[in-house]
Amino acid sequence: MIKFLTQFGRYFLLLKKVFSRPEKPYVYYKQTMHELLYLGFYSVGITAIISFFMGAVITLQTAYNTENPIYPTYLIGLGCRDSIILEFSSTITALILAGKVGSSIASEIGTMRVTEQIDALEMMGVNSASYLILPKIIATLLFFPILTLLSICIGILGGWAAGTSAGVITSANFIYGIQYAFIPYYIVYSLTKMLVFAFIITSVSSFQGYYVDGGSLEVGRASTKAVVFSSVMILLFNVVLTQLLLS
Amino acid sequence: MITVKHLEKSFNGHVVLNDISIIFETGKTNLIIGRSGSGKTVLLKSIVGLHEIDSGEIWFEDILFNKLDFKEKKKIRQEMGMLFQGSALFDSLTVEQNVRFPLDMFTDQTLEEKNERVNFCLQRVNITNANNLFPSELSGGMKKRVAIARAISLKPKYLFCDEPNSGLDPPNAILIDALIKEITEEYLITTIVNTHDMNSVIEIGTNIVFINEGKICWEGNKNEILHSDNEVLNDFIFANALAKQLKMHVRK
Ligand SMILES: Nc1ncnc2c1ncn2[C@@H]1O[C@H](COP(=O)(O)OP(=O)(O)OP(=O)(O)O)[C@@H](O)[C@H]1O
Ligand SMILES: [Mg+2]
Repeated sequence: MIKFLTQFGRYFLLLKKVFSRPEKPYVYYKQTMHELLYLGFYSVGITAIISFFMGAVITLQTAYNTENPIYPTYLIGLGCRDSIILEFSSTITALILAGKVGSSIASEIGTMRVTEQIDALEMMGVNSASYLILPKIIATLLFFPILTLLSICIGILGGWAAGTSAGVITSANFIYGIQYAFIPYYIVYSLTKMLVFAFIITSVSSFQGYYVDGGSLEVGRASTKAVVFSSVMILLFNVVLTQLLLS
Repeated sequence: MITVKHLEKSFNGHVVLNDISIIFETGKTNLIIGRSGSGKTVLLKSIVGLHEIDSGEIWFEDILFNKLDFKEKKKIRQEMGMLFQGSALFDSLTVEQNVRFPLDMFTDQTLEEKNERVNFCLQRVNITNANNLFPSELSGGMKKRVAIARAISLKPKYLFCDEPNSGLDPPNAILIDALIKEITEEYLITTIVNTHDMNSVIEIGTNIVFINEGKICWEGNKNEILHSDNEVLNDFIFANALAKQLKMHVRK
């Protein structure tokens, strides 16, 4: 328990160091662009793939669970849309990104710690926490919501493709379904969740990497911990945010 | 001038440095020698503030460095250059970007001016045609030399080198030794070098402290070191059989 509280305290101290005034805005700007590419853009592929298949599966499952003449088939489209917007495009995408981006952040920063690169930065008088972590936080906060929007579009596309090709719903009905009783606020809800998740993934993973002590074994351990902790935090905040935003 | 007074440092109850007091003079190459594990790296990192010390004082000129906060330390740190034992080059940057990094961070020079300085520093450590390579593409000795170039790119007032020539071939080791001595005297830098290479000791050891098991065991210069009666020191210097026999011979 004491250990948990110390960790918690260290996490916030690190965040405080991260959000101090940058010394050279231009250098930070360049770093942020770099991270946008590496953490953001390079995650488009995996997001697209999982979204497509998730959309497909949701549609098929909704279809088989509602095989009843009372239900109009367009409800399959509606169900697919709402599940994707409300849950999958933010929470599931975030979990996948925690695995991909979180582990890469933790091992990158962890390696810099054990090979004394962080010491070298500190030594020069650079605020290493801010220099290494702030650009990553900004980049993920900017890019992950875009991934959520992408995930929604591709997920629905996957649903349409699976639904029509399996013959469980006609194209026209599906399209009618995804437009029926659409609540724009759901998108806001989804994007808000993703912003919080992006912050969790980046800050928790950076924290794990920044305080690695030892050698390459510990770097490996830190990157596992980064994924586990950020996933658990994502699930926890998912419940909290849903209660706050939807009730 | 850097003055260390009664420095103590331990890790989890294991005492690594015990009551160390030394004066490192300006314009001289101050050597710290000692066996592997004697605490040289810990001493160097304690002086520059990378290790929090348990007690003692570290003065840079007339400033009590170890009591400053991060912002005040930052100012003095921009006047320091440090070569780490494992080079510590930034993996994601090329050789050129590594050497330019301190300039990018702390000066408002144009890219041209910066690159000119970068090439000058690289030339001095004998690195050519490697500007666009990444650290993973360099040999250990080349990394060391690039790291020295990075340490001197901002024209430091204080230069710290942790085993600058371990892993270098003899000609390059001599080159690096000569470079360290030369810039130290030319720009009046306060230089501290960790080493266990006897050749550097004889070449550049203006002031030498010998550390053994976390304590200062002997102090002097390169002329005195070969004639000392300190047994622990002699065991260290004349570790190999040939050197021991030579010393016996000279004594007779
Ligand atoms: N971060 C640390 N945590 C705990 N103990 C440490 C740490 N760093 C160094 N030590 C201990 O301090 C002692 C001195 O280590 P140091 O790295 O200063 O040796 P050294 O003189 O530089 O040796 P070498 O010539 O091999 O580099 C060793 O016993 C080491 O185990
Ligand atoms: Mg050492």
